[in-house]
Amino acid sequence: MITVHNLHKDYGKKSVLTNVSLAFPKGCITSLIGPNGAGKSTLLMMMAKLLEPSSGHVSFDGQNISDIRTAEYAHHVATLRQSPGFNLRLTVEELISFGRFPYSRGSLTKQDSQIIDEAIDFLALEDLRHAYLDELSGGQRQMAFLAMTIAQQTDVLLLDEPLNNLDMKHAVQIMQALRRLCDEQKRTVILVIHDINFAANYSDHIVALKNGALSFSGPAEQVVTETNLGNLYELNFEIIRSKRGCLCNYFN
Amino acid sequence: MNTTVKIWITSILILVLALTFLLIGSGLDFDYLIPKRLLRLTTIVLGSICLAFSAILFQTIVGNRILAPSVMGYEAVYLLWQVLLLSILGAHGLAMLSVNGNFLISIALMLVYSWALHYWLLPRCKNDVYMLLLFGLVLTMVLGTATQYIQLSISPGEFSIFQGLSYTSFNRSNPETLLYGVLTVAVVLWIGRKTLPVLDVLSLGREQSMSLGVNHPQYVRLYLALIAILVAVSTSLIGPTAFMGVFIANIAYALAGSNKHKVILPIGCAVSIIIFLVAQLFVEHVFNYKTSVSILVNLVCGIYFLTLIARTRGTS
Repeated sequence: MITVHNLHKDYGKKSVLTNVSLAFPKGCITSLIGPNGAGKSTLLMMMAKLLEPSSGHVSFDGQNISDIRTAEYAHHVATLRQSPGFNLRLTVEELISFGRFPYSRGSLTKQDSQIIDEAIDFLALEDLRHAYLDELSGGQRQMAFLAMTIAQQTDVLLLDEPLNNLDMKHAVQIMQALRRLCDEQKRTVILVIHDINFAANYSDHIVALKNGALSFSGPAEQVVTETNLGNLYELNFEIIRSKRGCLCNYFN
Repeated sequence: MNTTVKIWITSILILVLALTFLLIGSGLDFDYLIPKRLLRLTTIVLGSICLAFSAILFQTIVGNRILAPSVMGYEAVYLLWQVLLLSILGAHGLAMLSVNGNFLISIALMLVYSWALHYWLLPRCKNDVYMLLLFGLVLTMVLGTATQYIQLSISPGEFSIFQGLSYTSFNRSNPETLLYGVLTVAVVLWIGRKTLPVLDVLSLGREQSMSLGVNHPQYVRLYLALIAILVAVSTSLIGPTAFMGVFIANIAYALAGSNKHKVILPIGCAVSIIIFLVAQLFVEHVFNYKTSVSILVNLVCGIYFLTLIARTRGTS
């Protein structure tokens, strides 16, 4: 799976990521958490091969990803950035069929259409299939983009703040969908997330970054503690555990 | 209206216009008038293909619908080069260099300019389209002023040659340039033919297209090179076209109702051919050469460009 070795990233003189080494467990949801500017998205972008590290490297199944061709990497790892401001007039179905591009190179086969249908079913987007993206709400659009990423049928999905600007209902829908992807299809999901409660309740593994360095990482139930989170966010945390999961209270 | 009907209507329209253009008031003079008109018709078709392809490809790569190569100063570079040639070599020298020599050098120059834009300007204005537009317009202006400055130092004879180059016109082409143009465009289209689906992906932006396995930097370099060649061909064939490219591309998007380049590109060509044919018919038969194609086209397209900017400003 994906491992990062001594990863550094500098923008000019400012270093945003220093000496990060990590292994991401297979078949799990891993959440990258941390305050703004901690280097979470930078780390994700380097794993996605969208950004070159200043030093260190990322490896996928033991192979340095800079040695893997972009076209080949797209068969293994799919990335979704924060839903872009879009000026294209595309239908949901057209967007999702782009997910098959790494395989079909533009001419869809029967199998491709079937996989597109499955992705639409998986996220219950049937009603929106022929709707145009620019007519959808933020949550629906995010779902459509996620469906494209799912249709890419990769082992690993990298998602950069998929819950950004979504209401609770859509956020829960997306996290449940990711949970099912992981449990039913054994895919590995790595995502950047800001809401600590979503991270604590839906992920198996948590990686916390602060000021470009690793703060802590480990299985969610072990590392979500008042001390850890308090140090990470410099807030006073109270963790309330109940049958329905845990609630991290950082108000007042 | 479905796609087949659209294709039929446009094809018939183009055919009717082309026949009108060839035959109107010709008295069926197959020795002189019609061959001359045929030459102009071929020029119009070839120029249209170059113009539509270069504008649409450029917009896809930059991810923006109010830019076109001409707005980014490509044509200004061409004109500056022509006036430099005239002032250094004189009218005689320009003739010595011969049409194909000039043509090849122009292509090389456009490639260099493309390369400069790619390495120097585009990374600096990555997320700021208005900055890019501003840079383009200022560059066009600076190059234009430099051109004017040199114009002052050339003789009236050379000046009149230059003036002929600086307007859109279909009368300057000769069979030889046309042949080179056709060959070049054929090569460009042949190189680009298999990459149409890639263009659709590129329109999703750098990160999404790389995530879908498209080597974005490599394709951007390829397309910028192809665009440079197309612009060189169109500028040396029909002269500068200013806002025409933006106009054609946006009309094509609206008519195509799809984001597939397979559909958009041919429609763009068709729109361009129709506009040029209509403009040329007007110039020849209505205005009796009292006005020029470039004035007509710029009037319509310039107004459209302004409304487009005003409208995008309002919604974004």
